[in-house]
Amino acid sequence: MLPLRPAVDGSSAVHNQGMRRSWRRLASLFAMQLSVAQTHRVVVLIATVFVLSLGPGASPLTAGGADAKTGRHEAVVTSQLAEKVSIVDLSTSKVTAEISVPGKPAGVALSPDRKIAYVTAPEAKDIAVIDIDARKILKRIPVGDGPLGIAVNPVRGAIYVADWYDHRVAIIDPKSLTVTGFVKVGLSPSGLAVTPDGKLLLSADRDSHQVSIIDTADLAVKQVVEVGKRPFGVTVNAAGTRAYTANVKSDDVSVIDIQNGKTVATVKVGRRPYAVALAGNNAFVTDQYAETISVIDLTDLKVTKKIDVGAYPEGIAADASGDYVYVACWEENTLERINTRTLKVENQVEVPDGPRAFGDFLR
Amino acid sequence: MLRSLVFGLMLIPLTLVSAANAHGPTRQKVTETVEINAPAAKVWEVIGNFQDLNWHPAVEKTEGEGGNEPDKAKRTLTLKGGGQIHEALVKYNAKAHMMKYEITDVDVKVLPVKNYSSILKVEDEGDGKSKVTWRGAFYRGYMNNNPPPELSDEAAVKAVTGVYRGGLDELKKKLEAAG
Repeated sequence: MLPLRPAVDGSSAVHNQGMRRSWRRLASLFAMQLSVAQTHRVVVLIATVFVLSLGPGASPLTAGGADAKTGRHEAVVTSQLAEKVSIVDLSTSKVTAEISVPGKPAGVALSPDRKIAYVTAPEAKDIAVIDIDARKILKRIPVGDGPLGIAVNPVRGAIYVADWYDHRVAIIDPKSLTVTGFVKVGLSPSGLAVTPDGKLLLSADRDSHQVSIIDTADLAVKQVVEVGKRPFGVTVNAAGTRAYTANVKSDDVSVIDIQNGKTVATVKVGRRPYAVALAGNNAFVTDQYAETISVIDLTDLKVTKKIDVGAYPEGIAADASGDYVYVACWEENTLERINTRTLKVENQVEVPDGPRAFGDFLR
Repeated sequence: MLRSLVFGLMLIPLTLVSAANAHGPTRQKVTETVEINAPAAKVWEVIGNFQDLNWHPAVEKTEGEGGNEPDKAKRTLTLKGGGQIHEALVKYNAKAHMMKYEITDVDVKVLPVKNYSSILKVEDEGDGKSKVTWRGAFYRGYMNNNPPPELSDEAAVKAVTGVYRGGLDELKKKLEAAG
C-alpha cells in the first residue's frame, strides 16, 4: 500500500516497488473470493513468483546463513496487532507457521541453543515461552506491568525482561521458568543486550537517556552511561567492546565504549531510529519515520548510505552468516531482506499485521 | 504538606511519560478506503493541497503556510464545533498522488491520539475510477498503563476511523455529484 519509495536505490528498488504494487493489487482482487488464510497463501505465492521473475541478479530466492546450532534459517517475528508470532523460513522466504500469542507480542529473544523463543506480551503482562520447532507455547510467565525488551544470557541462559512501567529488569531462570529477581534501572527500560561472554547486561533506559551496565553475576549496576535522547534499542558487538543505542528523540546513534562506560561518539541518522544491527564493518539502523535503514561505517562512524525500506522499519538483526540483515516493517507488514554487501533490499515477505521483532529474532 | 508532597511525587512519572510520548502502549493502525467514480487526477485536485482540508465535513477552516513543501508546510485545522489540530507535512508526491503528514499538537479532548502520522493517497483504477486510501499510525491519548476509557486504544481507533470515514464518504459524494 505504500511502495512509494523514491527510486534512489537503483533499479532493484524500482523492481521491488513494482513487484509489491502488483502483488498487492492482485491480492486485493483475490481477497474478495478467498478466505483470509487462503489469501495469505496466495500473497506469498504471488510474491514468490514475482521474485523469481525479476531475472538474474535481482533477487536470489534462497539465502545462505543457516544457524550453526540448529541448521535452521528462520526468523521469529512478533506481529503486535495480529497478536501472532510467525516463523519465516528465510531459505524459501515463506511464512511456515503462525502461533497465536494474545497480549500484543513485541520483544523477542532466543535461548543459547536457539530452540526456544522468549516473547514479551506487554498487554498480557507476561512472556510466552515458545518451542520454535514444535511451534507451540510451552508456558506463559507473568512479569510486572510492562514487559517490553528482552534478552538472553548467551552463557547462563538467564532471561532478562525490561519492564517499561516498573523501571526494572526482571531475571527469569531458564530451568524453572520463574522470576528469580529484579534489578532497578533508570526510567522505562526498553532494549536489552548481553555481552557475548555473558558477564554484562546493558539496559537502554529510555526516559533517563542512559544505558545501565549491569554485572550479571551479582546483578549490581556497575555503570550508568549517558547517551542521546530516548535510547530504545541497544546492540553489543561480537567482541563485547562496544554498544550502540538508537536514540528515538535525538535521531542519532550513541557509540558506547563498554569497558570505560562512556559514550565515545554520536552518529546522526534518519528520523526516529528504533534499533541497530551489526554486520561486517557496518551498523544498520532502522529509521521508523524516515522509512530508511541508515548504514553506518563502523571505522569512520559516518552514515554511508540510506536504504529505502517499507514504512515504520523497527526490529532488525543480522543472520549468522552476516551476509544479510532482516528488518520488520510495522506499517508495511513485511520482513525485508537486505544484502549486506550490495546494501540493497532483495525481497519482502508478507507477515501478519504490525510486525515489530524487537530483539534477537533470527536463527 | 505531606499529602501534597506525595501527590507531587506521584505526578513526576506521569509527566515524564506523557513527555516521552511513545512506546509504552501499543501503536495502532487505521486504514480506510473509498472507490470513487472519478480519475485519480481529478480526486487529487480536490484533496492534494495540504493547505486545504475544507473538503472534510468536520473541518471549519484550514490555515497554514509553506504550501506543499515537506518539512516546511504546516497547517492548523479548526473543527466545526470547536477544537484545533496542528499538522506538518513530511512527504509529498504529486505525481504519485500521495502525502504524508503528522499531528504536531492536538488536545486529546479533540482527538484522543498521540504521535499520530497519516498518509493520504489516490490510486487510479482505470475506467475513470480511483481508490482513495487514508491511513494512520498513532498511540492512544493516554500513554501510561491502564488508560481511562475515553483515552484507550479502542477510543483512539474509533475516533480516527470516524475522521477518515466521514471525510472519504463526503469526498465520494461531492465528486460523484459533480462528475
